[in-house]
Amino acid sequence: MRIPQLSSRRATTARLLTRSPSPSSAASLLPASSPLPSSASRFSSLTAPASHPSNKVQIYTSHSNDPFLNLSVEHRLLQITPPDSTVLTLYVNSPSIIFGRNQNPWLQVNLNRLTQIAQQPSRVSWTDSPIQLVRRRSGGGAVFHDAGNVNFSVICPPERFDRDKHAEMVVRALKALGRPNTRVNQRHDIVMDVASDVAPDMETYKISGSAYKLTRLRSLHHGTCLLRSPNLASISGLLRSPALGYIDARGVDSVRSPVRNIDVDNQEFKDAVVREFESMYGDVHFRGEFDDTALEVDEIRKGYQELKSKSWIWGQTPKFTFSTHPTEEDPRPRPELPFDLNIHLFARHGVIEDMSIKHSDGAAINGLDASVFHGTSVWEITNWTESLRRAGLGDGLSKEAGEWLNGVLGAEYAKMALNEM
Amino acid sequence: MASIACSLRAARPVAMRFAPRAAPMARLAMPFRSFSSTRLSLARKYTKDHEWIDLSADRKTGVIGISEYAAEQLGDVVYVELPPAGEWTDQGDSIGAVESVKSASDINAPIRCKVTHTNALLEEKPATINQVPEDDSAGGGWIVKVEVDEEGAAQFDELLDAEAYKAFTSE
Repeated sequence: MRIPQLSSRRATTARLLTRSPSPSSAASLLPASSPLPSSASRFSSLTAPASHPSNKVQIYTSHSNDPFLNLSVEHRLLQITPPDSTVLTLYVNSPSIIFGRNQNPWLQVNLNRLTQIAQQPSRVSWTDSPIQLVRRRSGGGAVFHDAGNVNFSVICPPERFDRDKHAEMVVRALKALGRPNTRVNQRHDIVMDVASDVAPDMETYKISGSAYKLTRLRSLHHGTCLLRSPNLASISGLLRSPALGYIDARGVDSVRSPVRNIDVDNQEFKDAVVREFESMYGDVHFRGEFDDTALEVDEIRKGYQELKSKSWIWGQTPKFTFSTHPTEEDPRPRPELPFDLNIHLFARHGVIEDMSIKHSDGAAINGLDASVFHGTSVWEITNWTESLRRAGLGDGLSKEAGEWLNGVLGAEYAKMALNEM
Repeated sequence: MASIACSLRAARPVAMRFAPRAAPMARLAMPFRSFSSTRLSLARKYTKDHEWIDLSADRKTGVIGISEYAAEQLGDVVYVELPPAGEWTDQGDSIGAVESVKSASDINAPIRCKVTHTNALLEEKPATINQVPEDDSAGGGWIVKVEVDEEGAAQFDELLDAEAYKAFTSE
């Protein structure tokens, strides 16, 4: 195969490397705001150059705001780009909560809030689009994305992986944009220091968080950057679960940090990050753009469908217990409940393996068989009142406890999510 | 597990701790005898991706974990994703993952193998991986026990012995 001439920073486009160049693909060089050519499958035309061994420095911009799509394309780039290449991808997602590979969504997210936002946005003063719930493939904690948050992602050889290297790159970009008060902290997050209104010391706010995925041949660092999120005030509540005091989970917890916008325009930020990336890695051998048509690529569609599946979002949850009362393993004191029941549930992969329902004093309940819950996926229980009644609990208790459980475990969200299928 | 290596080398020089401290390391030093005790003799080898594997004397079963070097580079392990038992995995493919410091790191099969047991202790105490990563006994940080076929056994012979692995990580 003839290796294309790739030394020029500007000259190389998808067009040069595509097997059947179409005249319209030149449009991909136009500014991001210009409409994309309606070619049949954009990402498939990128597959060849993305994997070409001589394309050692690559930059991609997404025109999709679908978090599942952006993560799936990013994952595909992790798989196909040359082992010694360094790849920058920039994307913006519509409102979504993206939680870590090994986290528990019942514990990390306020599912009721997501339901209200989807079903009665005006009642909770939500003016943005509904929030999607996404389990990513990388580690770390739960974060919120929206149109005022730009995500950067750098894929590089694992030998060169360093948690701070590309966070520092973004800090240099921010400094170049007149934000000298930004830095990388010990948790590898980007923070900004601002003078406090009340205290003599500086106050520190997180503006960017990172997560990583390491495979045998490649490493991925992706991070957020809060630029002008209109939803900052809501983030904290979205990431506070009513089940917090009742769930004891294996896996990874989130670290709560006060956040703030850095107040930079999205495009200016992207351009500045690209400039810093170029100054680190020199000539860019390939620049690509993609949009929702990337789904026409089989492997991307497969990864996308996996990320969207219930068995991934909920079923990949590390094992956990939910107990209304202190237990030996989870002795935290619990708030008093409005009903006389002690409910304990153990789930692996989000599927109930053990369930017990007794009176608060430990006495058994006549006619109740909690084992009917065994094998049921927690995310498929859309009405606990009904489920408790079916297990043989009396109407009154079923209603009281059921309504409480519906609230704590996000049954309304489960109902909404199942109806979407 | 390729990934962890080097990453922090510059930022956080690691005190190389290759002195044998756990039983398995000591076992390596033993000459291979054809008639050992009741316990099967095991040979341990390493991959450049920082996994270790003990192969049984009959070359039909093995135990897999990650090296002390890798465990040190990873930092605090907070979760270990164990693979389902019963499936054959080719050399280099993922047989689980560990999470540490916001990173999900694949563990790769050092040879072709079929997982027969997973170390349930790691579900409760993932930090065991940091404490005794090369311990293949109960209470140790081993990750899976596997069945090995002829192809896997042949691949085993090509892996690094302890000395070669030590030289590799000291580079």
